[in-house]
Amino acid sequence: MFVYFSKRLLGAIPVLVVVAGIVFALMQFAPGDAVSMLISDEASEADKARIREAWGLHRPPVVQFLNFLAKAAQGDFGMSFRYREPVMEIVLARLPATVELAMAATLVAVLVGIPLGVLAGARPGSIWDSLASTFSFAGISMPNFWMGILLILLFAGHWHILPSGGREPWGLGLDRITGFLLLDALLQGRGDAFAAALKHLALPAIVLGTNMMGIITQLTRASVQEALHEDFVMTARAKGLSAARVLWRHAFRNALIGVVTIIGLEFGALLSGAMIVETVFAWPGIGSLLVQGISSRDYPLIIGLVLVYTTIFILVNLLIDLAYTIIDPRIRIR
Amino acid sequence: MSFSLSALRWQALRRDYRHLTGFKAGFGFAMLAILLAMGLFSPWLAPHPPNQQDLMAAMLPPDWTGPYVLGTDHVGRDILSRIIYGSRVSLIIAGAVAIFASATGVALGVIAGWFGGWIDDAIQKLVEIFWSFPPLMLAIAIVAFVGQGLGIVIIALTAQRWIPYCRVTRAETIALREREFILSARTLGASDGFIIRHHILPNVMLSIIVMTSFAMANAIIAESALSFLGLGVPPAIPTWGGMLSDARSYISTAWWMALFPGLAIFLTVLGMNLLGDALRSQFDPKLKSH
Amino acid sequence: MRTKLLPLLAALAVASPATTLKAQEPQGARIAVAITETISGYNPYSDPVVLLGSVWCQIYGCITRYDFDKGEFVPYLAESVTSLDELTWEIVLPEGLKRHNGDPVLAEDIVHSIQYLGSNPGSGKAYLVAGWEKVEALDARTVRITTATPDATLRDNLAGVAVTSKALFDQLGDAMFAEAPYGAGPYKLSEVAIGQHIVLERNDDHPLVSPSNPAQIMYRIMAEPEQRVTALANGEVQIAQSVPPQLMQRVEDLPNARIASVNSVEMMFLAMSPKTHPWDVKEARQAVAHAINREAIVRAILQGQAHLLNGPVSEGQIGFDPGFVSPFDYNPEKARELLHSVGLEGVEVTLSTPVGRYTADRQIAEAMVPMLEAAGFTVTLDTPEWATLWANVQQGNVPFYYMGRGSMIDPSRALHQYFATGGSPRIGFADPALDALLNAERAAFDPADRSAKMQAAISHLVEEAPAAFMWQHQMAWGIAEGIRFTPRPADQVNGWEVFVE
Repeated sequence: MFVYFSKRLLGAIPVLVVVAGIVFALMQFAPGDAVSMLISDEASEADKARIREAWGLHRPPVVQFLNFLAKAAQGDFGMSFRYREPVMEIVLARLPATVELAMAATLVAVLVGIPLGVLAGARPGSIWDSLASTFSFAGISMPNFWMGILLILLFAGHWHILPSGGREPWGLGLDRITGFLLLDALLQGRGDAFAAALKHLALPAIVLGTNMMGIITQLTRASVQEALHEDFVMTARAKGLSAARVLWRHAFRNALIGVVTIIGLEFGALLSGAMIVETVFAWPGIGSLLVQGISSRDYPLIIGLVLVYTTIFILVNLLIDLAYTIIDPRIRIR
Repeated sequence: MSFSLSALRWQALRRDYRHLTGFKAGFGFAMLAILLAMGLFSPWLAPHPPNQQDLMAAMLPPDWTGPYVLGTDHVGRDILSRIIYGSRVSLIIAGAVAIFASATGVALGVIAGWFGGWIDDAIQKLVEIFWSFPPLMLAIAIVAFVGQGLGIVIIALTAQRWIPYCRVTRAETIALREREFILSARTLGASDGFIIRHHILPNVMLSIIVMTSFAMANAIIAESALSFLGLGVPPAIPTWGGMLSDARSYISTAWWMALFPGLAIFLTVLGMNLLGDALRSQFDPKLKSH
Repeated sequence: MRTKLLPLLAALAVASPATTLKAQEPQGARIAVAITETISGYNPYSDPVVLLGSVWCQIYGCITRYDFDKGEFVPYLAESVTSLDELTWEIVLPEGLKRHNGDPVLAEDIVHSIQYLGSNPGSGKAYLVAGWEKVEALDARTVRITTATPDATLRDNLAGVAVTSKALFDQLGDAMFAEAPYGAGPYKLSEVAIGQHIVLERNDDHPLVSPSNPAQIMYRIMAEPEQRVTALANGEVQIAQSVPPQLMQRVEDLPNARIASVNSVEMMFLAMSPKTHPWDVKEARQAVAHAINREAIVRAILQGQAHLLNGPVSEGQIGFDPGFVSPFDYNPEKARELLHSVGLEGVEVTLSTPVGRYTADRQIAEAMVPMLEAAGFTVTLDTPEWATLWANVQQGNVPFYYMGRGSMIDPSRALHQYFATGGSPRIGFADPALDALLNAERAAFDPADRSAKMQAAISHLVEEAPAAFMWQHQMAWGIAEGIRFTPRPADQVNGWEVFVE
């Protein structure tokens, strides 16, 4: 199994190179000269030439790209044009915010989606089923930026129950241990900080998770229904096990495999959804950083972020495969 | 909780379920029809030209009896008219992305599935690379760097949409390739092209129709997200996402600017998704959503 | 289906607790300021954003600053800045000036800072020191600057020079900015979260600060106006920059905050590049100036929060002439006639505007389109991303655009930049008569003489109309109760000017 995962990880490297190449090629289409991002247009030609050379922009694009690859192989992803700090430092400082948001959104999706799906699947055609169905289709079809705006309007603007954006109030005084605020608050035994972080997290996580929640509900419903028809469930029932027990022990476990698959498949959508949700909620993650980076033509930052996104994406898919083997030992990885 | 699952009850449930499918299809078709009607007949349906401004009538709230039924925006344009005209962009994008994505995806999928070998490997590699971009990111990058425009948005959204088509078609082609009737067609000397046209494509058609419904829903949301980020089509063309983007600065002062365009996106996408689901349970219950 | 959804939503609405978020009082005189622009890293020289420039000046100390009460540039870090002759300037540092870590501030620090600004790849503000031929330290406290041509704007430029330590730079390089950000300003750097916030702490040794100034200030990015106002209402911030007109009433209605308005010194204008057709025709440019109904835009979109310009400057700025009235009133017939007289009716033009950079920029440009069309232009509106627009403007590739230019207390630099031949490619206007007038202004060191020469240049510029001057926005700041802060006509929030009651 270790060999298998190592192979998959190594196999990801050429993909990352090609992905970086595609983004690099796209950048060549961008109007204007990258130097204009670095220095005022009032600068003399000599100054511009000097800056161009200092940032390595005087070389042909192919050479620039190869240089980038060579440095990236050593972990150096260059300096951000906009922030004048190493790209990886900026990205890594903001990564926990995005991961925390994505995990919270997934949790919301699972915690709402699975019970709703089980309820609907166990009693197809009931009021629960219609309700779950309505809810799930609404979740799938809801544009998350719209939902975000409406929730901010209601919860922050109108009722003043939740903050309008950001990740924490100022002066929280929470030391960063893991970078995940909820976890850090727990580790330091800070109930107040936990509550504050949770308040900030609530709206963005719900908005981001809604889509996946809808999909999970539908999937759980279908697989629970299917499982209830299977022979072993029928047998279990015949043996006199209570319905609830059958449902949770057998049908639910079956459904879980599907749910894990969906989480993997939808994680990419979640990450790109996060770009927009982070923008709407001023969430200081890598999604809003990417949107800012694109609007300020911060090429080194954009490439760095695309690579980080892609890597996360590949890693998550790998983890999903791993999760299969845990949930269902019958699946063996070759 | 206790569940009684008597045979009698199951029958009743299945009837309910079929009922629900009918409703979904009906709602979906209705939304599609409304969208088409709005797009095709916008000049006749819209009470005002979409870009007609009246600065003195800016930010009027909805008024069911007045000239601006859904209110006006920050420069005094009629929101209802802009939603009606905005359907055109949604319609064009959804249609074009569905056509280009299905054409590309199906062609590559059939080729990969039918010929196998290194061709299959190469196409699979392509799929892997394009699939490793988080969905909207590639589109954002394309539009941000190459420029605004209807054509560019279509290309940007197609760039990843072809993949589900390719995957499903490939899998079905591989399954079909070994089937009796295809094998016998081969022994009878039918050309590759003939078999693909007459045997493979008709068999994958249903899946394609189902996927297209979801692809359209997806394209509409993605386009409005791009417009929302200011990366969509040029501003002279009204779009739902663009209207929402404008509305952001006025949420607390003119909620109608945000509510109605968002509702338009939501209901349209809901329609497409329900339609897709109904088609799926009708034709191809095994097909998972993509 | 929808009938089921509605009761559900209603139930959700009722179930949510009705407690309001407790307004966070500024504890121990800490205040948070919501700002619009992003915060780049630790490097004080990288970012040309005006508000951040003032933040770095608070930390490191800049050589001069503009005193709005006196109406002139005064020494800030320096003890004096004097011009010895037309080309030579001398800066003297006060005796015994110390950094936050106790190091002395030396003349060589100034030389180093100017060199860094001018030539280091990390600098984004090289334009500040362009044309300074020689910068040398005469002794530990005295610096002499020699310029290539007479430059009356030097004090203005020195207001952008934050003085960092040469010794620390020699030791640490660029890492100094993060590891040893020791300045000599009224506030100390406490924390930077890139792209999010920057926190300052009061330096009680500095003569400008008093105990009633905030002990800590956080500048926090909130790009969306709604977000800034909501944060103000919730007590998350105490000062909010740039409240747009449509939200001013909402702030006024808040129990815990108010609005303070101030004129900006940012001219908003429509630039028309004479290198392109039809803007090579003066009548077409003048037609634009006549076509825009500025009064209607200010009334309807800006809700009165702007005042119309007769030229690039208004009261309080150098070169303002109270008697000068722009020859371009709103007159659509005149605009049509002008366009007709040169046979350009129906000519196609593209109007470009940034989105969200200036108050209601896109909305204003949208409103201008039908006005221009009424004058006979055929207009396409273009709303590129800021970076794209700005890159193209800087290369002279945008023929017709709506733009602002701030920091115009002394308009000289801006006017040279946009309108002098070879000043920059942004408009590409070339007019020897205007060049002569602008150069004369720059070489005049006597304020009254300079003002008169500037007025002459401006009057000529307005008539030639390479740009149609629109208005200056009234900048509205949201300020929480218990905070005393008088915003100035520049995007600055200086800690020593904020008082916590």
